[in-house]
Amino acid sequence: MATGRRYRGGLVDLGTGLISREIFVNEEIYAEELDRVFTRAWLFVGHESQISKPGDYVVSCMGEESVILCRDREERVHVFLNSCRHRGMKVCRYDEGNTPVFTCPYHGWSYATDGKLVGVPYFREAYHGKLDRSQFGLVEVAQLATYKGSVWATWDPKAPGFLEYLGEFRRYLDLTLDGWDGRDGGTEVLGGVQKWLIPCNWKFPAENFSGDSYHNISHRSVDMVGIGPSGSGRRDTRERLIARRLQICFPERGHQTGLYVLPKDQPTPPAYQQSPVVSEYFRHCEEERRRRRGEWGRVTGSPGEVFPNTALHPRQPRTFAVWHPRGPHQTEVWRWYLVDSDSPPEVKDFLRQYYIRYSGPAGLTEQDDMENWNYAHAASRGTIARRYPYTYEQGMGFEVESYEWDGLRLPGSVLDITEAKSSEHNLRNLYRRWAEFMDAASWDELATWRTPAP
Amino acid sequence: MSIVNLRHLQPGARIGLSDGSTAEVVSNPLDGIWVFARYLSSPRDASRVGTEEMIFAQDIVEIR
Repeated sequence: MATGRRYRGGLVDLGTGLISREIFVNEEIYAEELDRVFTRAWLFVGHESQISKPGDYVVSCMGEESVILCRDREERVHVFLNSCRHRGMKVCRYDEGNTPVFTCPYHGWSYATDGKLVGVPYFREAYHGKLDRSQFGLVEVAQLATYKGSVWATWDPKAPGFLEYLGEFRRYLDLTLDGWDGRDGGTEVLGGVQKWLIPCNWKFPAENFSGDSYHNISHRSVDMVGIGPSGSGRRDTRERLIARRLQICFPERGHQTGLYVLPKDQPTPPAYQQSPVVSEYFRHCEEERRRRRGEWGRVTGSPGEVFPNTALHPRQPRTFAVWHPRGPHQTEVWRWYLVDSDSPPEVKDFLRQYYIRYSGPAGLTEQDDMENWNYAHAASRGTIARRYPYTYEQGMGFEVESYEWDGLRLPGSVLDITEAKSSEHNLRNLYRRWAEFMDAASWDELATWRTPAP
Repeated sequence: MSIVNLRHLQPGARIGLSDGSTAEVVSNPLDGIWVFARYLSSPRDASRVGTEEMIFAQDIVEIR
């Protein structure tokens, strides 16, 4: 583990836990990270339930690039750069829909849903039938993966496959993508995707969701209002009182999450008490999950992050968020809300109301967060402010590589914060990986797990 | 000559093209730029008759 890495003269110094504000506000660093991070990492693009039928499409983003996620006539899933090969115009300007072709409104070039260029105005006349249309299909991502309904893509043909990219973090991602009752997959996107702009660097929210439990004080008003699904707090977290609270990360991958582990034979505390139907649904699901997953059923997820910019919220609310970079000083947030696709309508409706009460531009908890990120960013841009690095020293050296508690071993580098209350272990992990991406020339250097240390 | 509004073209409509061809609309993606149509006649190239092609809006001169 490169704990002493000093990205570009100490901008990210994990030996001291100091990270320069420049990485959040500097224009040159931003331009470099678009190239070095966002063209090489796997990025979350959408969910298969958004494109269930042939011809269905949604427009999404990868870094600053607009992309089209679609299902072709043969039901294959594709992700294309949303840019005409003739003059670059967006070939799709709608958020979602169903179409046999994507037609550029500028000169009329038209592409089938498998990306092939099928329509060129005046092909016979102006091009004399000689344009090699096979060379001008839509630009497709180098690799695409669908995993339990989620769709991921990378522009880098040399990136490891998605499951290798995840490594053992896959088990923690499953906490968001598996059914509440422990079945594999089975989620769907509830309603549309919420999208909004916030005036801060994308790494502020990425850091927050990596495991910043230190900021709970700023949600105190929401806790007091009691927006949670049982009418108190902002979530049902009675397990906080009986579970081990952990921060878990994967130094070679850059992914991290929070986690609760319940004691053996301790049932999951009741939740969703404001609705008998919903409460009973989740009681049944928790019981089933324990039965199906055994010891792993004692694990419940907390916010996490798949490197670089996909946030997970496995429960209450259950969402994905992507922090799309829009310049060093702006982020476009996209948030997907997930439910079990076969859950009763009462459950979906209850969750929809709870989710939007909590997250999104109108969600009370997310508003607290945005206020922090936005003002922290604004107050870090000045010439004087940039001279003073942030500190990420909490819990340095207290992580454990083979963590086991009450008969359950957990993969990853674990820091137990049950007594410590907070740590910045996961946050350091995010920046460690970010620095590695910024330094590395290629995936040959980034896939360190393929070359075990001597 | 009035401009044909592609969004009004339904499958089965017969359209006249700038090269003198006649085609029958098979489907319309409603993008305002292309329709899928089958050639019924083609004075300049008889081999097109019966084939289905994407027809560019600017090539459609009338509804027949």
